[in-house]
Amino acid sequence: MPIWDVFGKRKPDDEFEWVGSIKASDLEMALVLARETHFRHKEGVAYAVRGHGEQGLHVASYGGDELGGVTDRSYRRQEAYVGVGRKHRKVSQLLAERGLTIDRPRPPVGRSAATSRSG
Amino acid sequence: MTYEERSQAFKARIDAGDKIEAGDWMPDEYRQSALKFIEMHANSEVMGALPEREWIPRAPTLKRKLSLTAKVQDEVGHGQILYRVAEDLGKTREQMFDDLVNGRTKFHNVFHYPTYTWGDVAVIGWLIDGAALVNQKALLDSSYLPYVRAMRRICPEESLHLRHGEELVLELVSGTPDQRQMFQDAVDRWWQPIMHFFGPPSKKKDMLIYWGIKTRSNESLRQEFFSTYVPKLWDLGISVPDPALAWNQERGEWDWSEPDWEEFWQVVRGNGPMTAVRLAYRKAMWDAHGWVREIFAGIPEAA
Repeated sequence: MPIWDVFGKRKPDDEFEWVGSIKASDLEMALVLARETHFRHKEGVAYAVRGHGEQGLHVASYGGDELGGVTDRSYRRQEAYVGVGRKHRKVSQLLAERGLTIDRPRPPVGRSAATSRSG
Repeated sequence: MTYEERSQAFKARIDAGDKIEAGDWMPDEYRQSALKFIEMHANSEVMGALPEREWIPRAPTLKRKLSLTAKVQDEVGHGQILYRVAEDLGKTREQMFDDLVNGRTKFHNVFHYPTYTWGDVAVIGWLIDGAALVNQKALLDSSYLPYVRAMRRICPEESLHLRHGEELVLELVSGTPDQRQMFQDAVDRWWQPIMHFFGPPSKKKDMLIYWGIKTRSNESLRQEFFSTYVPKLWDLGISVPDPALAWNQERGEWDWSEPDWEEFWQVVRGNGPMTAVRLAYRKAMWDAHGWVREIFAGIPEAA
């Protein structure tokens, strides 16, 4: 089955950049699979595919705001989870007030035990 | 140049921090190690979707149902990206899938276990995805560049999943005593499989590390996981079912007790509690959907 390179633009005035590759039997399937594999989370505003050995890009007509979903699909993206870190601290504090947290020795904050040891 | 000399020159490239492309010459040993490792990673993404998929119909709200569905789709998508990388090392996707569903190749131990409650979904979403992310971030330094590019694509999605999982956990631990207990029970069930997930302490000569396909030992990744997640669990009043687990100030690392490795070997060899059920499901889908693959491959010309 033919291999197709997949390209995307983050913003309308960007150049197309290579993002990966997929296998598909023809151009129509290549455009569908490229979208489903590489553009589910608003990774860009336009995308294109190019078969191996081809010179030009096949730019998908499906793009702009449609790419990544026209309905509210924020649960697919980081923005839906903004504030989880804050919520974690708040919950910890509440649990501490109720005497439920476990206070035992731990590594200094911001320093991971493992990163200093390699291999 | 003899094969030996070419292999030595290749090893020198790796040691100098050079990266390998799919089209480069590589020793058979490198190709086989990389293929086996990436194939297992791909298998694990595809099989890892199943324990969570089982909870889509039972998710407590529409929002949870949508986000869990999206996550399951992402995991299968990662499988697709990784099979694409593995294919270029010389094995077809069809063969890899056939080997997987017929039990000839492996997938990660944690996906051989059942999910009894929504608490299990929370553990998978936060701690197992967290453990996977510790591993996957370390693979950004791999010597095989097509794999690195796949990881650059996958890691941001995994960190989104982690937020999704953490939010599930916060909901449970700040809820009723029953909800807290549900999460604590799930942590108790999953702790040993998570310790297994990082693998036994690395052997002296680990081929994957030798060839730079992996760059860090199992032990260093496990220690990073402890440092990141154990204090967070404690802050939520959740205990870890390992009495020996403690931060050792003197040695600057965590003490912990070795789990039962026999169970680990049993599970990864395909004798886990859910291995047969999940593989049978994948095989049934693979067989039943054969006609879809045929059509995707192109409709044959009329005779």
